[in-house]
Amino acid sequence: MVEQRVREFIRRPDDAEFNDLALAAFRWQCERSPKLRSLAMRRGHSPGELRDWREIPLVPTRSFKTTQLHTSPPQVIFRSSGTTQPRRSVHPHGHLDLYREVIEQTFPSACLPAAPPVPMLSLIPSTEALPDSSLAFMIDHVLRRFGTEWSAVAIGARGVEFARARSWMGKAQRHGQAVVVLATGLALKQLLDVLQRRDLRFRLPRGSVLFETGGTKGRVEQISRQELLAMVHEHLALSAEHVIREYGMTELTSHFYTAALRGGDPDLFIPPPWTRVRVLDAESLQPLTAGKEGLLAIFDLANLSSTVHLLSEDLGVLEDNGFRLTGRAEGAALRGCSLAAEEFAQLSPSEP
Amino acid sequence: MLRDFAVPEATVQPVTGTAVAHSLRYRRALWDSATVDALLRHLTGHGRRAVEGLGDDSLMRAWESTVEEFLDPASEPRRRLDPMWSQACALSPAGLQAGVQAVLGGVRGRPLRQLLSQAGRAEDDSLISVILAANLPALAVQPLLPALAARRPVLLKSPSSEPFFAATFVTRLAEREPRLGEAVAALTWRGGDARLERPVMAASGRVLAYGEAETMARLRRSLADRLVAYGPKISLAVIDDGEPERIAEGLARDVALFDQRGCLSVHAVLTTRDAEALAQALARQLSALAESWPPGPAAPAQMAAVQQLRADAALRGLCMPRLPIRAGSVVVETDRGLEPSPGLRTVRIHPIASLEQAPNLLMPWRNRLQGVALSARRLETIEPFLRRLGVSRVAPPGELQSADALWHNGGAHPLDVVGAPRAGARHPSAIGE
Repeated sequence: MVEQRVREFIRRPDDAEFNDLALAAFRWQCERSPKLRSLAMRRGHSPGELRDWREIPLVPTRSFKTTQLHTSPPQVIFRSSGTTQPRRSVHPHGHLDLYREVIEQTFPSACLPAAPPVPMLSLIPSTEALPDSSLAFMIDHVLRRFGTEWSAVAIGARGVEFARARSWMGKAQRHGQAVVVLATGLALKQLLDVLQRRDLRFRLPRGSVLFETGGTKGRVEQISRQELLAMVHEHLALSAEHVIREYGMTELTSHFYTAALRGGDPDLFIPPPWTRVRVLDAESLQPLTAGKEGLLAIFDLANLSSTVHLLSEDLGVLEDNGFRLTGRAEGAALRGCSLAAEEFAQLSPSEP
Repeated sequence: MLRDFAVPEATVQPVTGTAVAHSLRYRRALWDSATVDALLRHLTGHGRRAVEGLGDDSLMRAWESTVEEFLDPASEPRRRLDPMWSQACALSPAGLQAGVQAVLGGVRGRPLRQLLSQAGRAEDDSLISVILAANLPALAVQPLLPALAARRPVLLKSPSSEPFFAATFVTRLAEREPRLGEAVAALTWRGGDARLERPVMAASGRVLAYGEAETMARLRRSLADRLVAYGPKISLAVIDDGEPERIAEGLARDVALFDQRGCLSVHAVLTTRDAEALAQALARQLSALAESWPPGPAAPAQMAAVQQLRADAALRGLCMPRLPIRAGSVVVETDRGLEPSPGLRTVRIHPIASLEQAPNLLMPWRNRLQGVALSARRLETIEPFLRRLGVSRVAPPGELQSADALWHNGGAHPLDVVGAPRAGARHPSAIGE
């Protein structure tokens, strides 16, 4: 019943209904999750007593690493990549139809340069390679639902399959129809590095879009956003307004996109109508007004599988009708009486 | 005005400019490769000969008097240094003073005399370069003292975020004993300047570096066995005995000193005692310490990590005494896996049924544990195991972070690190000096 109401809301959002539906979704979750119910009770309210969605207790992303949070029989278990963290988030997802609905309601308007189908090159592993990746699930659905027949995946166990990507982009260049390149930050950087090393430049057809998700921190040599965009421009002939950034996470069902394609700020993420994003003071967890940096707290009606109200590890600021990412919680780290030696070594030659 | 460098008077002096850090102006050296080459020639030539002829008494007098001066917050160099220093180390003024006392307090008096008496002249008298880190105040003295005891010239590379202590200390040391001034330089530059770094690396017989694992691996590739790496480690406590309030008082010091940024800072506690009572007592002591050693400024990213930990503990219904986030966080953890603290004086307490359970929990941390604050009656149950784990220091709660000049940081005797032969048969133990 609640799932149906949420699906209808996603299709036909009505702000006036949001609060009631949010409270209903939380009550529904509490009926199925003793952890959430106890959390609410410890805060002094039974789930039925809450009157405002902001009162719904926040669940931190960290709890997806420590606690079983599912509210429904899982259809698939998503896990975070676990490449930079010792423990992986686990999100047993029991509402995949809702997930597909979210993708269908948000991806086309944010990322498609023309009516589907659109040729797509994906540098994001498929579910065949990564069956527990929520991003792979999303991209598979995008390719199936909005891609043309000659869409392709050019990534393997060892990273970007450059020969395949090169051949595909050459074909796209000749073909002349606007395309979408889907990439993680890491894969994009790999591709651009190879293009740069080989001094190769493609001119993707006018109107083409680069969909970019995730960062590269700790995985490859860091470069500034400006430098990355300059490389994209030089090697793919795409300007900043054709680079769409996506913000999502294993622990959520909905995604946030920048609205560059519609003339919006290329770094400002716009929440879809069934979500709410607040910025909380990192010390007091009190809501902050626009322009002040704090922790992102995200309400996602579609996240029925676990928690609708999430305390993320990300820092950001509210601005106009969206939010900007500014940082991330510092991971627990070993201390080596040492923080600054890397600045010495950063660009030191690794060979004599 | 503070300077970010100290070099021998007789070498080519760098061009300087005025810069601003933490709203305070200072004199900044603008290094070029010719000036650095001249400095390296001076240190390895004239500097090496000058320090070679220095007697123990002269070295000890100059060193001890300089250390005493820097221990006194009312001294002239400290009054100039402190406003910049506490900001650069992100410590409150009281936290800085406590940290300075812990570090400098260990390199004078008996440990200083003992180290000098043990030190033979190094056969290899080439330059020692030290790449310092910014998280601990006065860290430079720990590698500098044994290097001078071995009579080797030294180049201290300060982090660019805190270039002032080493330069000021070396300047005052040189004023007391000019021969030391000929053999020691303290300078800084932005990492990555190959024009400066290549010749320094090439001229150094040994490089002591404090840094993270990736950094150490990278340095290892270019320096091979010339590198002594002080890589990332943490410390914890094992509590099997003792009066809870007293134990908690000591643990709180071991957690709060340096705002938990040292490798001897306690991150987690294993206890066979009443974990919730210990958590309550520790929270009270951290609360009190937040008054006497107020924490330094906290970055939003670090607070975000602690909020995650707190919110997760709340969801799981764990025991977590109420404390303002800046004072610290104490959680009684049901999960057996040990994790590093996200900082801000955050500690997880893991109950264990008996000391015999500790080895299994600690084993995954082999070679990544620096110290253990230990309170146990049956030391023989746990100490040999801690040695095998690579723990370099075991001390009672409250004393873990007060390591002295004889501490085997990373498991190595400080004189071995600088290539000095050790005189005398009695070598201090690797554990619990």
